[in-house]
Amino acid sequence: MDLLFLFEWLDTSLLAQISKAYGGVFAVVQMFHLLAMAMLGGMVLIGDLRLLNVLLTNLPSEEVINNTQRWFNVALLVLVISGIFMSSAVAMKLYYNEMFWAKMTSLGFGIVFVYLIRRPLLKFNHDSIKPWVLKLLAVASIIVWFTVAASGRWIGFS
Amino acid sequence: MLNELLLNFARWLDSFSWSTQLHESYYMYAWIESTHVLTLMLFLGMLCVIDLRMLGLIFPGVPASTIARRLDTPMMIGFVVMVITGFILYFAIPVRTTQSIWFRIKVVLLIAAGVNALLFRNKMHASCDTWDLDPKPPKRIRTGAALSLALWSGIVITGRTIAYDWYDCHKELPYFMYWLAGCVDEMAAYQ
Repeated sequence: MDLLFLFEWLDTSLLAQISKAYGGVFAVVQMFHLLAMAMLGGMVLIGDLRLLNVLLTNLPSEEVINNTQRWFNVALLVLVISGIFMSSAVAMKLYYNEMFWAKMTSLGFGIVFVYLIRRPLLKFNHDSIKPWVLKLLAVASIIVWFTVAASGRWIGFS
Repeated sequence: MLNELLLNFARWLDSFSWSTQLHESYYMYAWIESTHVLTLMLFLGMLCVIDLRMLGLIFPGVPASTIARRLDTPMMIGFVVMVITGFILYFAIPVRTTQSIWFRIKVVLLIAAGVNALLFRNKMHASCDTWDLDPKPPKRIRTGAALSLALWSGIVITGRTIAYDWYDCHKELPYFMYWLAGCVDEMAAYQ
């Protein structure tokens, strides 16, 4: 499905008028985007490194996952909202940018992975899950979210 | 005087062929900058969790000292990587960076964040036994944590705005802005 119409709409929207006209507002929103990225990355790393038995090993992994998941949700929400605002400033450029689509694909995959695979699986008692499954989940999660962040950064260079 | 010293130092760094090569290399510069930004997830991610615990917003059932102690090592690894890559980025573009208002504010905020972290750590170690298990630490600890988050937010935004040329020396700016940015030549031309 061609999403060009969506980007054309975004390019002429009120958001685009604000993001293009006020560099300061754009920079502040970008700050929230980066802070949310740091928070999301922190929550992913702490949760996954616990599943890999590297960090916070004296705490039950269920407790670590429950605590980090809440803030992961907050960070993801801020990332998406600030990301839409930032995209509005260069909507048409992004539409034709391959790295942008790489990021969107990995982000989509990351969201599906977290909410349809990782989270439902980790709701069970972790002792009842085979250790290699937990480790595989953790490694996959780190790779997916690193790819999202790295491809996002690379948009600026492409 | 200080501005001239800083500018001379930056020009000296700029005279190295490596500085120019690094700045002009497409992939190396991009990789270093990406590493600098992505390490935010390690350093600031850990810091966020420690500060959120001190604010009573995460891991309420876990002693605050446990969170701070356990996350300290990965946080410091992230910090060291950020400092090293930050120096390399500065080395690649020394003159413009030295005369960037945003870079100067960033350095001031970094110093403030460092002082706050030291005071915060001392305060925490001195009084931790009395509130370590409290889901919500005392007000002075929460204030330190909130200040830490605010300072690092400022560091992130000023770090990002270094890339913008709004107040670069080559632009026509009020004398005060030239002074703030340390635009030595432009200030001399003004007088």
